[in-house]
Amino acid sequence: MTVSAAPEAALSVLPRADGSAKYSHAGYTITASVNGPIEAQRRDEHPYEAHVDVVVRPAAGVGGTRERHLESVLQSSLTQIILVKNFPRALIQIVLQIESTPGNDYVNTKLFQASLNFSIMPALFQTAVLALLSAAVPMRATATASVVAVVSQDKEKKLIVDPSAREIEAAQSVHVLAFTSHDELLLAESEGDFSVKEWDDVYETAKKICCQPESQKAGIEMVPDDDNARGPDMRQFLRSTLEEKVAADLHWK
Amino acid sequence: MEVDQQHPLVLPGDTIDPSLIPTHKKQPLRLGPGLRHIPPNAIIPTVAGQLIADHKKNSMWVEYNGGRYIPSPNDLVIGQIVRSAADLYYVNLTPYTSSATLPQLAFEGATKKTRPILAPGALIYARVTLANRHMDAELECVSGSTGKAEGLGPLTGGMAFDVSLGLARRLLMARSREEGGVEVLELLGGEGLAFETAVGRNGRVWVGSESTKTVIAVGRALRETDEGDLGVEQQRKLVKRLIREMR
Repeated sequence: MTVSAAPEAALSVLPRADGSAKYSHAGYTITASVNGPIEAQRRDEHPYEAHVDVVVRPAAGVGGTRERHLESVLQSSLTQIILVKNFPRALIQIVLQIESTPGNDYVNTKLFQASLNFSIMPALFQTAVLALLSAAVPMRATATASVVAVVSQDKEKKLIVDPSAREIEAAQSVHVLAFTSHDELLLAESEGDFSVKEWDDVYETAKKICCQPESQKAGIEMVPDDDNARGPDMRQFLRSTLEEKVAADLHWK
Repeated sequence: MEVDQQHPLVLPGDTIDPSLIPTHKKQPLRLGPGLRHIPPNAIIPTVAGQLIADHKKNSMWVEYNGGRYIPSPNDLVIGQIVRSAADLYYVNLTPYTSSATLPQLAFEGATKKTRPILAPGALIYARVTLANRHMDAELECVSGSTGKAEGLGPLTGGMAFDVSLGLARRLLMARSREEGGVEVLELLGGEGLAFETAVGRNGRVWVGSESTKTVIAVGRALRETDEGDLGVEQQRKLVKRLIREMR
């Protein structure tokens, strides 16, 4: 299974949207489109800030309660990083289309849909951030997200970054954390039984993935003591993706 | 493009190296698009792009392409009349945004008795006079200081083409060939096509000509230059191909 494969992204894939991104990581492929600032419907209009509208569309069928929950979590965290006060009465629309989810031979996904919420959240979040950057929507900061599962193995607690559906099934608790580029915690959602100590460990692990400082990248590559608990460097990934996009946009310079 | 120390890539929220910020004894620092100032002294990018600092003009901005047009004062734009009210026209600048307003008397030589009658759907070339986030943008088709149209006003005949904001900006540069790297219009003119253009900062280019064939050829040349990110050499090839197809 290619769970720990490096994330991949392409920006501005949809020609008619203001901004769009396609992102695949840990078996998930998601396409996002961003339009905005556009005119908001009367009921969504806010006199002092833009309304951020997030729509999550599942790979098959129509969205239900599960998608509404994802939308509300994403909406509240994305509103924090978009400069919504710059566009009063406007609407910023983010549509996230799930294209594929990692297959699981052991679990019947139909029955266990609710637990799938968590592992997809970072992918949705990351795609939304990339699409917002592609649409040049003014933002306070960029953000990165990751998911960590706590699994007990031989009476020992083990942290797994980007767990597979099978691992989530066996996990005691699953945590989704997102950090802004200023190393601030933006989103923390947890599910299952866990102690404060475990949460602290999860926090440190996620922070390592999401907020690797610049100096470490320039220096000698750190020896990964545990590959599974380390995960990819999301911030560097975001920067290199944008670097490609900006270079292509400003080819005439 | 070279991402070097002078023109680094910036992402929203990045810190800007103080050595890159231009300083001047008298002139105040001017911040262009993509930057915001947080008092007292923090300057932070809000979009992803290349940071450009102009030491002569004591200004800095972020160069990027994409997104939706956000009106700002003194921009030249091409709008479409949506409807007419008692003394205003409502003008659409980008799809699905609230309309900008154009006073019916903001045309050259317009008085209460003689003013241009524009039907919904008509195109106008206008300047943004007021852009405030709490209000709809305001436009004018006449220079406030001279009372002359200076090229602004209704665009009759021809056709408007949608291009990216980046290409519109390059076409509007004073020396679009040297600085912006777009040569298609000059090349097409050099091949003997007679046409006129108006470039709107909101990503619309109007092309007018006696012959419909020319309008389509010029429009296609612009669209293909934009979508294919063509360099000057490729633009020359494109123009040659289009001219051959026209004959």
